[in-house]
This record gives sequence, C-alpha cells and structure tokens, in this order.
Amino acid sequence: MTFPTKTIVLIRNTSSDRIEDTNDFYQKFKDTLKQSNLKKEVELVRALDLGIYKKGNCVRILPENIVYQQITEEDIKRIITVTLKQGKVIKDLQFTAKAEQKRIVLRNCGRIDPENIDEYIERRGYDGLRNALKKSQQQVIDEIKESKLRGRGGGGFPTWMKWTFAKSQKTKQKFVICNADEGDPGAYMDRSLLEGDPHAVLEGIIIAGFAVGASQGYFYIRAEYPLAIARVNQSIKEAKKRGFLGENIMDSSFSFDVEVRLGAGAFVCGEETALIASLEGKRGTPRPRPPYPSVKGLWDKPTVINNVETLANIPFILSQGGKVYAQIGTEDSTGTKVFAVTGKVHHSGLVEVPMGTTLRQIVFDICGGLPNGRNIKAVQTGGPSGGVIPDEYLDTPVEYGTLQKLGSIMGSGGMIVIDDTDCVVDLAKFYLKFCVDESCGKCAPCRLGGYQMLRILEKITQGKSSMEDLEKLSSIAKAMSRASLCGLGQTAPNPVVSTMHYFLKEYHEHIQEHHCPAGVCKSLMIYEINQDMCRRCGVCQRVCPANAIRGDRENGYKIDIEKCTKCGSCYDACKFDAIRRD
Amino acid sequence: MKKGSSDWVKIGMSTCGLGAGAQDVYDCITKEIKKRNLDVNVKKVGCLGMCSLEPLVEVNVSGAPRVIYGDVTDSIAKKIVHRHLRDKQLVQDHIIHFEEG
Repeated sequence: MTFPTKTIVLIRNTSSDRIEDTNDFYQKFKDTLKQSNLKKEVELVRALDLGIYKKGNCVRILPENIVYQQITEEDIKRIITVTLKQGKVIKDLQFTAKAEQKRIVLRNCGRIDPENIDEYIERRGYDGLRNALKKSQQQVIDEIKESKLRGRGGGGFPTWMKWTFAKSQKTKQKFVICNADEGDPGAYMDRSLLEGDPHAVLEGIIIAGFAVGASQGYFYIRAEYPLAIARVNQSIKEAKKRGFLGENIMDSSFSFDVEVRLGAGAFVCGEETALIASLEGKRGTPRPRPPYPSVKGLWDKPTVINNVETLANIPFILSQGGKVYAQIGTEDSTGTKVFAVTGKVHHSGLVEVPMGTTLRQIVFDICGGLPNGRNIKAVQTGGPSGGVIPDEYLDTPVEYGTLQKLGSIMGSGGMIVIDDTDCVVDLAKFYLKFCVDESCGKCAPCRLGGYQMLRILEKITQGKSSMEDLEKLSSIAKAMSRASLCGLGQTAPNPVVSTMHYFLKEYHEHIQEHHCPAGVCKSLMIYEINQDMCRRCGVCQRVCPANAIRGDRENGYKIDIEKCTKCGSCYDACKFDAIRRD
Repeated sequence: MKKGSSDWVKIGMSTCGLGAGAQDVYDCITKEIKKRNLDVNVKKVGCLGMCSLEPLVEVNVSGAPRVIYGDVTDSIAKKIVHRHLRDKQLVQDHIIHFEEG
C-alpha cells in the first residue's frame, strides 16, 4: 500500500453529538494550520467517530496513528509544531484505550466476501482442519482441552468434555449438530457470524465431526434467518467442490457430510433435547436428561451439539494451538466472547472482547455510553434466562462464574443497557411474557408457574396487588427453577428474581404507592391538565379516544379520571406541556 | 470481479447492513464506478459490528489511507466515488475509526 506523502488529521469533538462543536474545533485547527504554512502537507478531515468517547476534542494523526485527547486551543499550536513538523509525540496528550476489542470469532466478519471460499482460505482458512487431520482424534480433543474452551451457548460446559463423552461411545454412527436457533430478544451474534463468515463455522463442525468420529453433521438454523441459510448452503457447496467436505476429506480416510435443517421459530428448540426432537421430525419438546445427547441423542445415537460461536473458535484453536488460545481471557474463562449490545447505548452492535473485560468498559469505553446524558440503571445479560446487573456491579469482569454469582448468566451474549426511564418490573414482565409464550407446555411447573407469575406481575403494574404477591412470586419462582423439565422453565423466573433482588424498592413503590418511578407503567399514572399552562386549544379533547376530556374553549378542559384509560394520547398531543402525568 | 487492481471497496451486506440500505449503496457505487471507468473491485462482505452506523463502506485505494465510512447514503456513496476513489481525498464527516486487522 502506498501512502500519500501528506499527513492526515482526523478531528472529532468526542464529548458532544452536535456537529457544530466538531466544526468549531475543525475551523480553529484549520486556521492555526494556515498560519503555520502547512496547508498543503496536511489534510484535515472531520470524522464521524474516532472510537473514543467523552474525551473532549480529539485528533487521530495518520499514518503514524497517534491519538490525542482533551485538546485545548493552546494545544493545537503545540501539536502542529511538535508532532506535525518535528514528528515527535506529545506524551501528556496521548490517549491510550482502556479496553479494546479482540477479534477471534469475528476475525473475518466484514473483511472477506462470505460467498467466496478463496478469500477465506487466503486468511488461513481450513488450516485448522488440515492440522486436525494430521493428528489423532484424541490429540484434537487434547488441543481443545488445553484451550479450555467452554460452550458459548450460555451454559459454559467445557467443550472437550462433551466431545470426549461422544467419542468414547462405541457406536458406528454419530452426529454433530450446530445449534443456530438463536432466539434471545436482542441477540444476533450467530446470525452475523453465519452471514459474515460461514466457512469458519463449517470448518468447526467438520473438525468436531473428525474428533468424535461422526459421519454426518447438521446445521439447525432458524427459518427467520434467510440470508444466513443461503450463505451456509453456498459455503457447503463450495467446500464440497474443494474437497473439504464429502468423501475422503483432503485425501484422508475421514468422510463427513453436512446438511442444513430449518427451525420453525420455536424458542424452546434452542434447548438441545427439544432441538433433537425437532430434527427427528417430532414436536419440539424437551425430554428429561440424562441420558445426555452425547450418549443418546439424534435417533438414539451419540450426538454433539455445539453453539455457532463455539464452533467458530475451533479452527482458530487448531491452527494457532490451544496454548495460544488459553492465554487470552482469564484463568477460568479463556478466549473471547461476542456480545450484541443493544438498548440505551450510543453505539449498538457486536462487540468481541477478551473474557475478563468489565461490563463498564464494554458499555462506556467501547460502545460510547448512554445517549442524551442519561444515567445507567442496569445491564441485562443472558436474555430471558438471565438477569439484571445494577450499576454498582458494572466493574465486574465478564466471566462465567462472576456473572452467575450476581444472579445473571453469560447467556448467548445478548446485552441490553437500561437507563432510568426503564421500569424493571416492566422489563421482568416482558421477559416472562416471552417465556410464557414460548413454553412448550409439556411440564406443569413451566406451563402453569410462568402464567401465574405473569398474572401477578400484571397486577403489580396495574396497581392491583398487595405485598403478599411478592412472596407468591418468590415461591413460584423457586418451584419453577427446581421442578421444570428443561432450561427454559428452570431459568424463566430469573429476570423476576434478579430484579426483585436488586430493585425491591421499585416493586414496593409499585405496590404500596401505586407509582412507577420510571414512568413506564401506564395504568399507574394520573393525568391532569395544568390550567395555568392550558391555552384552551381543544386538541386534547379531539384526540382522546375515551371521551374523557370535558369542557369547551371558553371554560377550559378537565380530565374525567373515571373515564380516562391512561393511554397518553392527550399528553403526546399537547403542544404547551399543559398535561401533567405522575 | 476485475483482476489486476489492488484497490477495493467493501460494503457490509449482512442483515443489519441491508436493513439500513446497503443494497442501494452497493448499486450506487458500482454504477458510479462503471460510469467513471475506475479500476476498483467492489466486494460484498459481512457485518463489521458497528451496527448503529450502518451502512458501512470500507475503502482502500493507493494514494489514500484505508478508512471506513459509516452512515453512508446515496449522496455520500457518490461523494466517496468522486472524492475518495477518483481524487484520493477523504470525505468529510463520515469516517469512523476501526481497528486494523
């Protein structure tokens, strides 16, 4: 790559979203540059985002890639004379990132054309498979054991153990399944991975097949991901053409085939035994374990089920070695984890960080914190099976163990940031409603318990409950988590339990004072017209669907509380902020 | 795909990108490149992760640094072709930083 002879300075005010603030800084820099007669040698560019947040005026100088933060007007001259003219670094202005992403799973996402196998091979693709085929099955499993890779689907079960169980079975026919039935609200890591780098997952499943001695693999992908399905199918076709899949892979004695099966959108089919039932063409309901799938799985044959992200780690481990992988992350949880950060955050998107990075670093340093200057209330991890982690615990490093201690789980990687305008009772209700809808109905604790808990939560948000209901919630939650058949029912009460643990005060406020502190629970609000501010335009009366606003333009308007359905239409319609809600 | 040129443009075209309008950007850039007869490869790639700033367009042409543009619309796409691909100058207000790799 030939670089231009001139230096490029990227400019951004990182404390403000207003383009004017960046413009002002840009103009000042430009004027100072003009005085120094460097206009031709230096190109100034306003950037949209520098990957730095809340650090005042910042510049990134290319090609040296020097970053300065908190720049004042006096500093501009210094930067021009010292850095741009003499090529020296100003130490006291330099910015060093506190947390950085590390891309192993997403190493090729957005870098290569997912439909072109050559680009994958160019970036050391199928090297892992080549290395694996030179080893014995046990050696491959040992490599995974050394890497200490744990399942990324949420449970965190050591991958090598799963494989060892399946390998030790003396059956001729074995299966490997890639679980791509991603259903958590707000999580889409697997989709992006399958769409951006399908060959990595395919290579992972082939290596898994070799290690356990399977001859057939399945991708179980939810039908809502048409693009992912198309790209996986395309990658299977290409891999077959190149001899990475099919009979005698890469001239070895190992033969393996892969098929894509579609899930019809049931959340419970992400649970491994329900997934197997669905694959067999039966109704997608779980069955009691043991026997575990690695002993008796698909068509009663030993079956390994791994998550998409777990499988995408395998090629890296086999090509670079388990030791290299184990050095990333922490002692207990090695490697990296991809999170889908959404909710009240400046930049939502996919983030891959080494294990042990703190939640605060992820939310503030990488994703840019919360928009509109709001305060963070909590982070919800693990989707409907997880819990909330309040502000004061955000400095916890992300690991399987630490999150569990806080009453949440790593989960598949959904991370929803909530601020003080979000009601935790409403959040718990949302997740519970999701689980109630998705419960397969096979076992009573989940089918009935979930429904009863949901009814109590609805009562709380409508102001019709008593303090006894909280005890009921706890006891049903306990029963569900102990007696449910599968993970869905066992973990469905988690959002309720964890919000009750950390935000009990808000529950009390809902029940005793009929007040929602976040202003989310509509039925708890009272609407009133402030007569001093009312201009008597009559808009509220016209938009009210319940005819609850009485009066006319001469005598003013009043809301009839008996008739009011608390829909909020008048509040939204009033141009003079004359309607108060509390 | 044209051979012989090391210059390329990559457009993030996963579900998140397509949802934000990456297909229009792709069409626009290929059309403009053809019209101007530039020797640049245009590639469809997956998601880079910065979903809030989609559509993302990464540009690498000799004579200018490799950068990623975010929040690209049709008019910005045209600017990228004219200013960056042809004149080797960076387009204002749309560059985002991303780690090299």
